[in-house]
Amino acid sequence: MSSDGVPPIEVHDLTVAYHARPVLWDVDLVVPEGKLLAIVGPNGAGKTTLIKAVLGLVPLAAGWVHVYGRPYAEQRHLVAYVPQRFQFNPGFPMLVEEFVGLGWGALQPRWPWQQRSARRQAVKEALERAGASHLFSKALGQLSGGELKRVLLAYCLAWPRRLLILDEAPAGLDTPSEGEFYQLLEELRQSLGWAILQISHDLEMVSCYCDRVLCLNQSLICQGSPQVALAPEVLSRVYGPVRDSGAKHCFVRYIHRH
Amino acid sequence: MLEGWVQVVELLQLPFMQRAMLGGILTGVTGGLLGSFVILRQLSFFSDALGHSALLGMVLGVLLGLNPTVVLMVFGVGFALGVTFVLERTQLSADAVLNIIYSSSLALAVITLSLLPGYRGNLNQLLFGDILGISTAALWTSGILLLTGLAYVGLTLPSQMLLTLDEPLARARGVQVGWQRLAFVVLLALVVALAIRSVGVLLVSAFVVIPASTARMLGSRFTTYVMLAMGIGGLSAVLGMIASAALNLPSGPSIVATQLMFFLLAMGWRGAQKILGT
Repeated sequence: MSSDGVPPIEVHDLTVAYHARPVLWDVDLVVPEGKLLAIVGPNGAGKTTLIKAVLGLVPLAAGWVHVYGRPYAEQRHLVAYVPQRFQFNPGFPMLVEEFVGLGWGALQPRWPWQQRSARRQAVKEALERAGASHLFSKALGQLSGGELKRVLLAYCLAWPRRLLILDEAPAGLDTPSEGEFYQLLEELRQSLGWAILQISHDLEMVSCYCDRVLCLNQSLICQGSPQVALAPEVLSRVYGPVRDSGAKHCFVRYIHRH
Repeated sequence: MLEGWVQVVELLQLPFMQRAMLGGILTGVTGGLLGSFVILRQLSFFSDALGHSALLGMVLGVLLGLNPTVVLMVFGVGFALGVTFVLERTQLSADAVLNIIYSSSLALAVITLSLLPGYRGNLNQLLFGDILGISTAALWTSGILLLTGLAYVGLTLPSQMLLTLDEPLARARGVQVGWQRLAFVVLLALVVALAIRSVGVLLVSAFVVIPASTARMLGSRFTTYVMLAMGIGGLSAVLGMIASAALNLPSGPSIVATQLMFFLLAMGWRGAQKILGT
């Protein structure tokens, strides 16, 4: 909890429907301050929809979502979000420092030359924190997968924020790079006190790095420490008859090792 | 050779030539500014389709005896709003919707044109434009549109960059994606509609697409890319007009040919860079 006792995210009785078909039912959850939470579940479980609901990107059929005690639109400046797919044409004319600079400040109308030096300083510091100073002048389209994740984190770090929401951010990284990414997240969480909510299919990484796990399959099946929420019997309830090969692979590998 | 230059200098002292030069520069710079976003947002077909559809607006203007420039601008805005409306309410792709609207507009224009005996003389001007006949009022409108475009893009640059790069990221930061898209296509429609009088329905999309495509090969920083697109647009107009005066060539196509020359030079430059490994 923050000093004023208001949690970063509070979701109450949330139901979201697409074309009158509910995809999330009666979800209640609280994300405490300074903790790293993972949402796990099979494809189609409503994980991305839950995040979109928190970010105010989908209409709510019932319930409410608060970010630091208020609707997201009023607290946007406190939140950094990294979407599931960050895909752009490799020839897109943008340098890393320009992209990270987009994370700085509120997007209110201002001329490009206003507060330029403050923005540039913030970009330098953010890239340094994310271990990506050497990428400052590199073209965005020339980054490797691992470099791009670090640059995305720098984009989030360019402005003082308190809550980070990641939608499968490490997806596409090889195992060592994924480990490095989680290690970096952990360092940032400890040094900045961020609360982090992320979707993940990698149960190994979740069990190593996350404080709390939310098991979702249209409704919240279980939430608790990784030891509790990732117990084989819970995962069997969450994943049910597994149809998705990616999730099945992670699930079977995890169950096998534990 | 010297005689040719003397002829160009003499021509450039004529008021209609000065107006045409200024009109070309304003259209080129504005086309480069908006075009740099158009090609990244894959809206190139929008300006092309609007150009073709505008034929209907021009013909209706003649039929109703109204000022063609005003009718074109109203028609352009109507086209932008219509396309946006249909796209939001159907599952159709943008190119399909644009194709439906522009081909049906073209068909209606030809039918209406057949009801206007004696108008065919102006068809050539409509298709290829007449930059030499640009009016002072059109120059003022072009100047105001350029300033509006500069203010709009300049004041909302981070939002425009995010929206162009990745829509979900922009939405999460609170960019009003729907309104921003609408504002942009309305501005683009106004610019294209006004430029049609100068460069014609067949060449208007070149002013939006070619300078920006050239700049994309040369600039790796976003702001440099946008400024290069504007510069190439304006410079193409100056050189194209000079070539047109010196060689007695049609003005609009000369400007487009100059844009193409810059495009080919940029391609050559990129190719040389790759070969040299720099």
